[in-house]
Amino acid sequence: MATSATTGADADVHAPVRRGRFPWARCLHSTFVGLMYFFMLCPLIFVVWLSFFEDAILYFPPSGYTLQWYVKAWANDAFANGFVFSLQVAVLAAICGVVLGVLAALGIVRYRFAGSRAANTLLLSPLLIPGIVAGIAIYLAYLAAENFLDMDIVGTYGGLVIAHVCLTIPWTVRLVSASMAGLDPSIEEAARNLGASGRVAFLRITLPMLRPAIVAAALFSFVVSFENLELSLSLVGPGRTTLPIAIMQYLEFNLDPTIAAVASVQILLLGIIMLVTDRFVKLSQVV
Amino acid sequence: MAKVSIERLKKQFGGSVAVSDFSLDIADGELVAFLGPSGCGKTTTLRMIAGFIEPTAGTIRIGDVDVTPLPVHKRNTGMVFQRYALFPHMTVAENVSFGLEMHKVPAAERDARIRTVLDMVRMTQLRDRYPRQLSGGQQQRVAIARALAIQPKVFLLDEPLSNLDAKLRVEVREEIRALQQRLGLTTIFVTHDQEEALAIADRMAIMHDGKVQQVGAPQTLYEQPANLFVADFLGKMNFFRGAPDGAAFVTERGTRIAAQSGAGGARHLGVRPERVRLAAQPGDGNALPGTVESAVYLGSLLEVRVQLDSGETVSSQVANGAPRGQAPIGTGSRVYACFEPADCVLFAE
Amino acid sequence: MTGAAMTAVPTSAGRVPRMLGPSMAFPASLVVLLIIMVPILMLFRYSFNHFDTVEMMQEAFTFENYVRFFADPYYRDVFITTVWVAALCTVLALVLGFPVAYFLAKTQSRYKSLFIILLVFPLMVGNVVRAAGWMVILGNAGALNTVLVGLGLAAEPVQFMYTPTAVVIGTTAVVMPYLILTLQSVLEGIDFSVEEAAQNLGAGFLTTFRRVLLPIAAPGVAAGTMLVFILCMNAYATPVLLGGTGLTMMAPALYDQITRASNWPFGATLALVLVCGTLLLALLSNWLIHRRYVRTMAS
Repeated sequence: MATSATTGADADVHAPVRRGRFPWARCLHSTFVGLMYFFMLCPLIFVVWLSFFEDAILYFPPSGYTLQWYVKAWANDAFANGFVFSLQVAVLAAICGVVLGVLAALGIVRYRFAGSRAANTLLLSPLLIPGIVAGIAIYLAYLAAENFLDMDIVGTYGGLVIAHVCLTIPWTVRLVSASMAGLDPSIEEAARNLGASGRVAFLRITLPMLRPAIVAAALFSFVVSFENLELSLSLVGPGRTTLPIAIMQYLEFNLDPTIAAVASVQILLLGIIMLVTDRFVKLSQVV
Repeated sequence: MAKVSIERLKKQFGGSVAVSDFSLDIADGELVAFLGPSGCGKTTTLRMIAGFIEPTAGTIRIGDVDVTPLPVHKRNTGMVFQRYALFPHMTVAENVSFGLEMHKVPAAERDARIRTVLDMVRMTQLRDRYPRQLSGGQQQRVAIARALAIQPKVFLLDEPLSNLDAKLRVEVREEIRALQQRLGLTTIFVTHDQEEALAIADRMAIMHDGKVQQVGAPQTLYEQPANLFVADFLGKMNFFRGAPDGAAFVTERGTRIAAQSGAGGARHLGVRPERVRLAAQPGDGNALPGTVESAVYLGSLLEVRVQLDSGETVSSQVANGAPRGQAPIGTGSRVYACFEPADCVLFAE
Repeated sequence: MTGAAMTAVPTSAGRVPRMLGPSMAFPASLVVLLIIMVPILMLFRYSFNHFDTVEMMQEAFTFENYVRFFADPYYRDVFITTVWVAALCTVLALVLGFPVAYFLAKTQSRYKSLFIILLVFPLMVGNVVRAAGWMVILGNAGALNTVLVGLGLAAEPVQFMYTPTAVVIGTTAVVMPYLILTLQSVLEGIDFSVEEAAQNLGAGFLTTFRRVLLPIAAPGVAAGTMLVFILCMNAYATPVLLGGTGLTMMAPALYDQITRASNWPFGATLALVLVCGTLLLALLSNWLIHRRYVRTMAS
């Protein structure tokens, strides 16, 4: 993807100038942009704000502020277990997805073979399917498999993780492939010229250059798995729900500072991870 | 360091031939420049010598060893890449150390060699920096140091100066030449810039469309080009088409030019612009009358185009060292374009 | 040199085995094939089965589910509602988001990466949480109503929640960052000298925008819009939480069929109609935009 080509002194040459008839247009533009940002971010702002409200019932303006809801949320089994469960699923799904995805990306981009375009499409396809549809399809398939294999799959930890791996693989493949395409091939050639065999050159030079992308893939996969709702809805079992599902089920009946606290925790966790990921790979290019 | 023998090297990609029948013997310690326009096959040839491309036919010998079947990492040809190809995740010192590790040089000697080679390129102070913290010229020097550290048998440079700005290019090429001579490195230098090649090469190989046009010392190639392409590619040349007539050459327009003996079979005659003097009166040697068409001031040179009475045009290049106060050559003035028979080059094509 | 050169397999001795690439891609491909592709195909097959209140699903091959879907005005309505909500949200996101994308593409501010992070941030925290936020804002005791009543603009709280309006607001807010990021990328890829050239030749801002910028950006805009439209069609959490029973869309409807009504064949039908319908509509609009704009540019 292209990046802004102008920096430093050159930049002034191309800075947008709107003279003449609408001198206030620039101001209007900036204000509008600010408004749009507020529009996109205000739900999150309000959720976090609500989580500190003194009163148990939603009421503006709040009579005071407190941290008690965070304590209450953690004491609530559904949320505490949901948080832990989501963590467990996300970690495992991210690890598996990254391992499989990196391997696949390397095979497709580096060792191009006859079906690599098709394989690439296949690996990215889960992104195109609505989560609900995928979740249901997998649920029904699991049921059929259960009968066939005579074992429990639906509602199990393993069953959910495997489904989530189908979410993490496409993102990993996307991130790692993009990074590989951007590498300068002459660097690996230089390594071979200096005496490294193909294998050594790959392990000591190319792979380390891919490390940022791989780390970003792992973090991003974690986030994608943790916040997932639609796929997981059909695949969770009693006593084992993910945090987003627990939040959703609560919200269908109730809106209060407790749930706001839970949501805020999710916002905080995923927000931090996103910031960290951004250090490794420019997220704007990926999403 | 070793000599290099390239025998009948050929490379074909599908239907098109990138390099055909390339043969060359490079002496130990010699710097040979591969020069030519883009797409002439010079980089392909270099990469075949390094081992990145497998030749369709032919052999490459380094020393007395046939390296053609050897993989890249076993050939010990130190290469400097066009965009330096430094390892971004390693410091300068680590970059240089890499090749030494690959060649299993023991640690103590490794450190010594790293120090020596970084001193040679004056990068000792920056040994702990990362490539992204270095300027283009500095990265260039690290790339050279890295290639030299492994004490390669052949030193290969793939257009190493094309990414540097003009002033730096001259500095760095002189440094490379000095280093090469001091160390007695057998070197192959690929470039599309003729000034570079002329300045530093012991011998030049000019390539065009995959074929070697001529190999020789810079002076030989410039003064005695073997064919029209070389004559036209190196510097500028005035061409006349015609046929020999006795000991002279008669152009299509009937101009009679005294060339050196052996004009038989020639179809073109060439003379360099700097060999063409403009005089008010004819002297000995050839003197073609004409009118000045244009005089372009190029700083240190004056390039004058003269329309000969016979209709042809001749370019003359005059150094702007004439005494001050002398009247400049103006358009429209009548002159004689004078040049010696010995300065004429005859071409069979 | 492109990524293709990256694939240059080592030559002359040390040649890479032919099966290395495929075997590296195999494990991931197998997983996706078995866990996604096969179940989807099974779902497709189920849509032709017969629903029985006792056995839930009987093996058959019948079109009765599809007939029911297209014949029943309720379900036709659900589909049409989904389409117009998705279309509306897409258009809104495009109209509102384009100025933002333009701003980002052109800004020289050193806070630019901060602006971008602020866009990516909501995308990563999850739709449920964002919908919760809108519930706080749009509820009867929510922020918006408090302001409206407080300023005297409304006599009593306006019912925003559980209306199509809420769903449209929530969904637009969800997809806008995607669209802005895509548009920004497209705009940054344009050499702005063409804009300057147009102005130099006498075109005012609007003309430049309409005759130069838009046609060049059109293919990228089309692709981004298609993506966003698909996202809107497939929305689940936002319509459920903000629309409730006031608005039924395809994704919630099909989920209900499977879990509450246990009517797998019909649920499968809804799923298929959603996926195929979305794809068709998206491709159609993409093709239309291409026809309108891309033809005017040399290929």
